[in-house]
Amino acid sequence: MRSIQRRLSLGLISVMVIVGLVLAQTSLWLFEVGLQRYLEAGLRNDSESLLVALVRGPQGLQLDERHLSPAYQRPFSGHYFRIDFSDSHWRSRSLWDQDLPLLDHPGLHSNLQLGPGGQRLLVLRSDYRRLGQSISISVAQDYTPVSDSFLRMRQIGVGLGLAALLLILFLQRLTVRRALKPLERAREQIAQLQQGQRSQLDDQVPVELEPLVAQINHLLAHTEDSLKRSRNALGNLGHALKTPLAVLLSLAASDKLDDHPELRKILKEQLEQVQQRLNRELNRARLSGDALPGALFDCDAELPGLLATLNMIHGEHLALSYVAPAGLQLPWDREDLLELLGNLLDNACKWADAEVRLSVIERTDGFALSVEDDGPGIPEEQRAQVFSRGTRLDEQTHGHGLGLGIVRDIVDTWGGLLVLGESEWGGLKVVVELPKR
Amino acid sequence: MRLLLVEDHVPLADELLAGLQRQGYAVDWLADGRDAVYQGSSEPYDLIILDLGLPGVPGLDVLAQWRSAGLAIPVLILTARDSWAERIEGLKAGADDYLTKPFHPEELYLRIQSLLRRSKGQSNQPTLQAAGLHLDEGRQCVVRDGADIHLTAAEFRLLRYFMLHPEQILSKSHLAEHLYDGETERDSNVLEVHVNHLRRKLGKSVIETRRGQGYLFGGQAS
Repeated sequence: MRSIQRRLSLGLISVMVIVGLVLAQTSLWLFEVGLQRYLEAGLRNDSESLLVALVRGPQGLQLDERHLSPAYQRPFSGHYFRIDFSDSHWRSRSLWDQDLPLLDHPGLHSNLQLGPGGQRLLVLRSDYRRLGQSISISVAQDYTPVSDSFLRMRQIGVGLGLAALLLILFLQRLTVRRALKPLERAREQIAQLQQGQRSQLDDQVPVELEPLVAQINHLLAHTEDSLKRSRNALGNLGHALKTPLAVLLSLAASDKLDDHPELRKILKEQLEQVQQRLNRELNRARLSGDALPGALFDCDAELPGLLATLNMIHGEHLALSYVAPAGLQLPWDREDLLELLGNLLDNACKWADAEVRLSVIERTDGFALSVEDDGPGIPEEQRAQVFSRGTRLDEQTHGHGLGLGIVRDIVDTWGGLLVLGESEWGGLKVVVELPKR
Repeated sequence: MRLLLVEDHVPLADELLAGLQRQGYAVDWLADGRDAVYQGSSEPYDLIILDLGLPGVPGLDVLAQWRSAGLAIPVLILTARDSWAERIEGLKAGADDYLTKPFHPEELYLRIQSLLRRSKGQSNQPTLQAAGLHLDEGRQCVVRDGADIHLTAAEFRLLRYFMLHPEQILSKSHLAEHLYDGETERDSNVLEVHVNHLRRKLGKSVIETRRGQGYLFGGQAS
């Protein structure tokens, strides 16, 4: 989609240009018509004066010089006449050596004819009968100064119009930018939302945007709320199922079953299967995935607590450390990421002799989280097997296998990649590559 | 060793009580958070096993109240809530260990054992060692110079307490408080009998009597 600003500018320009051109052209035309009508009245006057000046002289008809305007005597004065009789014609002295052609029919001719000295003329031909002769009088006036000033007027008009257009465009841009500012702010806030820098949009917006922002905020709150509720419900379900399961496991281990070793074995196996399935599915159901755009994981705030918890569970003899850029925030849900790192680190702690290290690296296109330990590691030929499609990670014994099932679920949900390698201490190195959101 | 078990699920509590008693622990059981807040800080327990989903007061609040009152007893959280976020919450509230349900009873016993040793400043070895004796808590017998010496349940409990507190003078009332749960009648004569049995099996010098003060285990370098 093109930006609203551009569309508004384009629309405004085209409307202004069309309306401006039509208006300017029409008013110029109307003005010219009016002017010509005024000039025509003058010309008719002139032609009638000429008619009056026609008097019967000694050799027939002759012009009474006294009644003639001096402009007809001065060469190329801009005022000309031509009087046509049936067999001859007279020209004004001002025409000098030029000829004023006789028009085809009477009336005003504004399609200006090139006259003497490149002048453009406005010609009026009127037909009369006088003294028993039909006379046709053509009077002409130089129109060049008028059309010149028209041209100048048009140029000035175009210049003024262009300047006005530019000014209007500039003002319109300012106005639109001001008017669109809340929209731009909302856009920035949505970007921040996606980067996890905020969890709600600012609700101080113009009336037009209010429903949109309110709806987005409502959706965000609703998602967060329902995630919390479903997590809580899952927690309760887990509690309700796992406590009886603990009773059964304890019963299966009690000496009451000493006489039935077969029964005990089956019971234990089945209970363990139930337990693993339950853990895996409950964990998977707890994942928020991409549901919450505002989620954020603050490395400096969360990692020390996680490492301390792992140290508590696995004993103080393990040296757990993490390397992460100061103030780094990962754009994923806190609980999901804790689950991912917790499981990876927990697994590393089970195998490590003395050291486990978590490194978080920010790359241009994503993040790489790697967990290394100094345990026995996995031979290269078996690494592929761990992740091949056929291997069902959830079948591996809890506490003894890789325990990477939930890790894989999380990484898959985020569209990431799980790579096994060898750490610098010879143990296993698990690298999780996550694309940026 | 006297433990407090706070768990509201009666069948599980029954199982745990029976199992822990077989392990030679004196266990008191509570099912309500409000009782736990009070009793946990008023009785001299060596370790507390705390469920988080409790009626009355939630488990984490109980723990937080104990810690803010200055109670330093190790607390093991036993819960079905197994997400890492919740584990971290538990640690922040002051837990010393975190075990998720369902669990194998042996796992719980091992955790309790290592937590007790840790809290008494002992290293986490397969056996409990003090004064040249190795106590195998799994088999409930003591090994000296490679030879097994069998113990009765009562002797085992007494010896374990001594071995976790070597070179400390322990009064009879202190021993009675830590070896019997709240419902057992405490008879100091019974304690004397068990101490005598231990001396007969392990040698007179292992447990000294300090008149008017109590007993001293492993006082002489042997």
